[in-house]
Order: sequence, then structure tokens, then C-alpha cells
Amino acid sequence: MNIELNGLKEKIPENYNINNLIDLFKEGDPDLIVEVNNRYIFPKNYKTTMIMENDTIEFINPNLGG
Amino acid sequence: MLDSDTRRYERQIILPQIGSEGQATLGKASVLIAGAGGLGSISSLYLAAAGIGHILIADYDHVEKSNLNRQVLHSEASLGIKKVESAESRIKGLNSSIKITPVQKILTADNIDSIIDDVDKVDIIVDACDNYKTRQVLNQASIRHGIPFVFGGVQGFNGMVSCFVPRRTPCFECIIKPPKKKADKGIIGAAAGITASIQAMETIKLLLNIGTGADRLENRLLRISGLDMKIKSISLEPDPDCPVCRHHVIDN
Repeated sequence: MNIELNGLKEKIPENYNINNLIDLFKEGDPDLIVEVNNRYIFPKNYKTTMIMENDTIEFINPNLGG
Repeated sequence: MLDSDTRRYERQIILPQIGSEGQATLGKASVLIAGAGGLGSISSLYLAAAGIGHILIADYDHVEKSNLNRQVLHSEASLGIKKVESAESRIKGLNSSIKITPVQKILTADNIDSIIDDVDKVDIIVDACDNYKTRQVLNQASIRHGIPFVFGGVQGFNGMVSCFVPRRTPCFECIIKPPKKKADKGIIGAAAGITASIQAMETIKLLLNIGTGADRLENRLLRISGLDMKIKSISLEPDPDCPVCRHHVIDN
């Protein structure tokens, strides 16, 4: 399946949820914010949010300094 | 408004979104800027320059040399003095006709309500702090008092901004969960400058009710990525299970 992740075209297996995607790309930030098609995804919904063909996904590291 | 004030603010009074009436509203407004560091340096100066009538600026720390790459409110002459004293002096130098209240305190659940219920009740909280715990205090106070919380955060070359408005948007704690790791301390001053300028802009729009919620950063998290110079926004919605705001009905 084709997706865009952080601005790059990627191929991933079918039936992937957000957790699978985080594992696949070895994203290590435990405070990660995930955006799918410009919508914020609550961490509690990562398991049930399935990735669809041509989804645009961003992994965002929060900025909490001042 | 005095003639000298009209002259001072003429370039914004001629804007149809502001006018004399809007300027008078800004003059009566009271804003709490929670932090006199990288973000607070910029938001305080732009809000003072715009003629916000009362700025309360809170910070417990003293000015250190390592602050000076981004905290442009302070100078070499301020090293070692209280940040709020340095801030008060600099802001007064820019605009002596507004009221500045320095608050040299760590903001906590025990003192935030009395600070917001100052002689002039605070209309908006502008986030300029650097830690999650204080942001929780500010977020929860924003909900209790029904006043907006203009969140800003920075790190490295990047920044984030969103307007969390009780009953209209999610709250800060719906979206940003307690961090599990320590944040990197590296930051380029201009990242704080861009982020805090946007916070100041949104604060003025909120005070004057300029535009719709979609025009303001309500229900959106703006992300500024300085290295590739991209600015994007993410749509937000309230967390129905948020322990802080779930009982507050969203007005449509």
C-alpha cells in the first residue's frame, strides 16, 4: 500500500494501524503526535486507526520548550 | 484615548479590524504572560506595543547569560537580576502608558486563581513557559475562569501554537499528554520569535473577536518547522475522555 509519511512516499503492508506504522519505522519518541490527513489522532486510537491507501501521515515531535 | 496614544497606535487604528473602538478594547484588556523567557520576550513586547492596557508577566527566575541567545527582553546589563524586573523595565521603556505587573512567582494551582482575579481580571493567558506542569496549571485555570489559553512551545528550529478556548475547542490536556522523556534544551532564538509573534497576533484577534474560530488558531495546532521552513496546521477535536474538560459542553 502506498502512503506519504513525513513528506516521503513509502510502501507499507496492508491492514496496518498506527502502532504498526510506528514500529515499522522505529519511531522512538514516546511523546509522538500523529497526524493522518491533517487530523490529530489520539494515542488511545492508534490501535484502531487503520492506514488507508494514499493516506498522508506525519509523525510530529512535540515542542514544549519556552 | 489621549492624542499621544492616537498617534502611537495610528498604524493599527487605521486597520478596519481594529479602529478606535478596537484600540480602546485593547487598552482595557488584561493579559497574563506566563514566562519571561524566549516566548515571553516577544509576546510581551508585541502586546505592549499594541497597547494592551495591563500586562501581568510571571517568572521566578533570574537572568542568566545562557538566556541571551533568545530572551531578547533581557540584556547583558540585566544579568543576575529578576527576569520580571528586567522585563518590566524593558516593556515600560517601549510603552510607558500601559500597566505592567511583575509576578515573581512559580505559577501553581494554589496561586493562579488570585493572580487571574487581579484588580483587572485577566482576559487571556499567554503561554510562555517551558514545562508541562505549569501548562497544566494554566490550562486548568483557563477552564475554571472561562478564558482562552494561547499555547506556544518551541524546540530547536521548531514551534507550535494553538488557541485553547473553553467551550469552543479541546483543552491543552486533551491534545498534549504528559511527556515521558526530557526535552532537548537546544533552541535557536528566531524559533521562539516566530512562535511568540503568532501567539501575540492570536491574542489580539481573540481580544477583538477578529475573524471566526477557523480564522483564529481554534481547533487547530499550528506547526512551524524552521529547518525546511514549512508551516502546517492539524485539525483538533476534544478528547471525550479528557479528565480536565470532558464535562464542559462545546458550544457550536
